[in-house]
Amino acid sequence: MTTNSLAFRLFATAVAWTLLALPIAGAIIYSLYAQEVATSFDRRLTVLLTVVLSDTIDHGDQEPGDPKDVGEPLFEVTHSGWYWQIKPLDGRPGREIKSRSLADMSIPLPSENNVEPNEREVRIASLDGPLEQRLRVAETIYVFGEGKMAQRYSVAIAGTLGEVDTSLRNFRTRLALALSLAGIGFLALTLFQVRFGLFPLAKVEKGLTAIRSGDATRLDVGLPQEIRPLQQELNALLKSNQEIVERARTHVGNLAHALKTPLAVIRNEARDDQSPLARKVTEQADIMTDQVNLYLDRARMAARVGVIGRVTEVRPVSESIIRALERIYHDKQLSFSTDCTPGTRFQGERQDLEEMLGNLLDNASKWARSKVILAASPLPDSGNGAGHWLEIRVDDDGPGLTPEQMADPVIRGRRLDETKPGSGLGHSIVADLAHSYSGKLELARSEHGGLSARLILPLAT
Amino acid sequence: MRVLVVEDDRDLNRQLVTALTDAGYAVDSAFDGEEGYFLGETEPYDLVILDTGLPKMDGISVLEQWRRAERKMPVIILTARDRWSDKVTGIDAGADDYVAKPFHMEELLARIRAQVRRASGHARSDLECGPLRLDTKTARVTLSGQPVKLTSHEYRLLAYLMHHNERVVSRTELVEHLYEQDFDRDSNTIEVFIGRLRKKIPPDMIKTIRGLGYRLSREVDDN
Repeated sequence: MTTNSLAFRLFATAVAWTLLALPIAGAIIYSLYAQEVATSFDRRLTVLLTVVLSDTIDHGDQEPGDPKDVGEPLFEVTHSGWYWQIKPLDGRPGREIKSRSLADMSIPLPSENNVEPNEREVRIASLDGPLEQRLRVAETIYVFGEGKMAQRYSVAIAGTLGEVDTSLRNFRTRLALALSLAGIGFLALTLFQVRFGLFPLAKVEKGLTAIRSGDATRLDVGLPQEIRPLQQELNALLKSNQEIVERARTHVGNLAHALKTPLAVIRNEARDDQSPLARKVTEQADIMTDQVNLYLDRARMAARVGVIGRVTEVRPVSESIIRALERIYHDKQLSFSTDCTPGTRFQGERQDLEEMLGNLLDNASKWARSKVILAASPLPDSGNGAGHWLEIRVDDDGPGLTPEQMADPVIRGRRLDETKPGSGLGHSIVADLAHSYSGKLELARSEHGGLSARLILPLAT
Repeated sequence: MRVLVVEDDRDLNRQLVTALTDAGYAVDSAFDGEEGYFLGETEPYDLVILDTGLPKMDGISVLEQWRRAERKMPVIILTARDRWSDKVTGIDAGADDYVAKPFHMEELLARIRAQVRRASGHARSDLECGPLRLDTKTARVTLSGQPVKLTSHEYRLLAYLMHHNERVVSRTELVEHLYEQDFDRDSNTIEVFIGRLRKKIPPDMIKTIRGLGYRLSREVDDN
């Protein structure tokens, strides 16, 4: 997943959101819980305070009596953390009683720590108690006796905060664990969602690769509604691209027809005339013919540049050309043999392959004494990333070429042999076309005696 | 030998007709596809030169329709469209050869001779019949090595008989293959030219098969 990708953007957003949102949610949940725990603890203390106070009032008159049943066994266990205590205030003498759990210690009082009472006249505060216990203390003031005998007493209940703290700590651990798991699950889900959601885009990528490699001419993958317009536009673009190329080719063909017929007329008109003017006209007409051919070839090649690749099976093309040549060279009774490895497919336009094979085979047929041999096969992968190539070899048993001719037979305009009819440009057209596909044409002496033309072209995989 | 030229360019058509007539062919010409198709369908040509880019009906369709109608005369396609894809299309449609414009007239004539010879089953460019010898390339006739002077009509007649020697050729067939379309077929010109030919070559070589026609044969003393 590269940083500049839709998948990364979606995933990174999800991660950022998760990292931000889950801790905040955790903090809020924790504080609400802690508040709830504190409130219920205070309520319990208040209830116990009410019980102790009413009990002591029930059993006393001018001064507090011994509470009989406060319903909390922990008041009986020494240093349990749960205590009650009743003692006189204002430094005056009076009866002082406390729970057994408190032994000889005493509870720190909120009233002595400047804690204001709430609406029920109860002071509640967290204070440090004996034995380093953190205590929550609820205290109320009650007056026993009347008149001069009236005496203010402090009635206090204390409960240790230890168990609240433990409970909160446990809750915090569980909450963190649960939220972490939720976060991981959420991110995993996001990852899946991104992959699943972006899967059509991966299909588009594959489809485009197929078009580029020539396995398809249009994008035909089932796409979701949102990007279907993209597919339609792309196919329309591909189609119009192909149409433009077709139109360019048609125009080129029309131009050829328009120019070549007058050229033929001019040439024939001057044919039988031996005057210098007629010779000049013939010479110039020949130059014009070569120029027309040269630029038509260039235009055809230029029309192809940028066209997304096509794939052409070599075998049917060679067969149709050989069928034509058998007819054209019927008198020579040539034997044509073809050895084409199945699956040898040219990465390029059919017309161009026809042009290359046509010229090579025509040339071979022109010179051959008895046979023309065509062999086509994929070349083994060189493994250095140079791509895949195919080799087409056309051999004949004619006279062949001299080494000097072979060294440079492809310069445009030079005729290899003036005595054979035809433009003589065959090999140069083939070399130019092969070159435009990054391929090449090599000429060598054939083992059958004549010329061996070896064409290297890109292989469609 | 009778040839049809189907070419819409008037200048080129005229040049072809002139060159072919000079080379000893009887030539008809058509300027569009429909006219060309009609002529090729109804007249017995020995060869057709067919342009592909024709008005009214393109050359390839003309050719395909002829072939469907079992018209088997050799057809040479003459076209500016010289890509191999065009050539293959033309040959597949039933053409016998393909000449790209702008062409050399000599090359076209050579291809025409080759097609005519092939159609009549001869492999070589010079035809022989007994002491008679006809070089189609130079349009020269020799008798036992001695040149025979012939007018163009005499040459046409002898060339046709030489292409089809040892076979009875009817008078109608001769008229159809030796003269252009507008020739007056009721005249007795064939008999006149046969008579003239018999004065220039051993007279028994051309036999009159009564009621059927003529036969050129190397067996001089047959009957």
